Amino acid sequence: MNAVHHPDITTLMAFSAGTLEEPFAVVVSTHIAMCPACGEMVRRTDLIGGALLSAEPEAAIDDRALDRLLAAADALDIERPEPRTARPDVPAPLSRYLPGGLDSVRWKFSGPGVATADLKSSKGTKARLLLLKVGAGRRVPEHGHGGHELTLILSGAYKDRFGTFAIGDLADHDEDVEHQPIAEPGEDCICLVAVDARLTFRSRLIRTLQPLFGL
Amino acid sequence: MHGLFPSTSANAKMTGVTIEVDLADLIERIGAARDKAALAQLFGILAPKVKSMMLKRGACNALADDLVQETFLNVWRKAELYTPERGAVGTWIFTIARNLLIDHLRKQSSRPYEDLEGIKLESDLQLGIQLIEQKQVVERVSQAIETLSADHREVVRLSFMSELPHAAIAKRIGIPLGTVKSRLRLAYDRLRPLLEDLH
Repeated sequence: MNAVHHPDITTLMAFSAGTLEEPFAVVVSTHIAMCPACGEMVRRTDLIGGALLSAEPEAAIDDRALDRLLAAADALDIERPEPRTARPDVPAPLSRYLPGGLDSVRWKFSGPGVATADLKSSKGTKARLLLLKVGAGRRVPEHGHGGHELTLILSGAYKDRFGTFAIGDLADHDEDVEHQPIAEPGEDCICLVAVDARLTFRSRLIRTLQPLFGL
Repeated sequence: MHGLFPSTSANAKMTGVTIEVDLADLIERIGAARDKAALAQLFGILAPKVKSMMLKRGACNALADDLVQETFLNVWRKAELYTPERGAVGTWIFTIARNLLIDHLRKQSSRPYEDLEGIKLESDLQLGIQLIEQKQVVERVSQAIETLSADHREVVRLSFMSELPHAAIAKRIGIPLGTVKSRLRLAYDRLRPLLEDLH
């Protein structure tokens, strides 16, 4: 099963450059774990960094820096990579944020047919990482984005004006996009979402209720 | 591995190539034999460049020195895991330095990158992907970046070397975010033929 919807090339470039906020980097790396084609793309965008590093001017290095390095290297135990124990239902980059897998999530009611769960990321980030569950056949209220939003489908599928998004697909939306996803029938749709601003709902009722739902 | 790196290039134009051959060889010596002379040599070639990148990304001189140390200790520790599938040596060291900056300067976690490494490597090995001529790749891409228009080169450099998020680049240059993205897209399109020709 190959993903059909991928991150924008500028998002992959920012991932390679290391400038994405951590929640966005988690969503992109989880997508890459599910999409070899994007793994290949990131190898290419990493190369831009390698080429620019090679072309960097040379900053002055302290005379004692090399001795310090060699002494530290002597003192260092060589670590063997730890064996991977990722849960099968969650790709490795996400399992660190969701150690108990999807079964362990404590969902919070966030509106009719919609539940969310915030995932903890580092203090240094202002963006938010969350899981969003939309009941089979239910719709997410129509909303726009105050900022960048990445949505990766972990199970089920949804449809909006951009097409059908199934497992492994990633929706990469800018601040000017409005859409109304509807979960496909048969199975709840669970998504991993990174947002750097609150979602803005068009309906006045939902906007009023938004603080209660925590969206 | 040596078969991939013919070491017959000696003329001045090929300097970059020669360096890249040496770098892969140095990493192999570090990984296989814990060769400290090789680590010292690699440090001599790349540490000043890594430090320049750290300074551009906002580290003060002392922190930049520490992060350069940490970068090469990581190289020492992980050299065994380096394979040509991970890309050219310069690219591999760029990713190590980038991850350290995310952890120490931005106080975020580079774990999403680290956890992905194992997965990418496994799938590469399954697919039998091998980077041949990787010694030339870095040099070719560097040259191609120089051929970009000044506007396009500036956004690429600000993103990869100064580590400015796209919105901050827009603010710095005084152009809309959409223009930053379209310049990055065009820059990638210009580099694409080179980047796709890697294996």
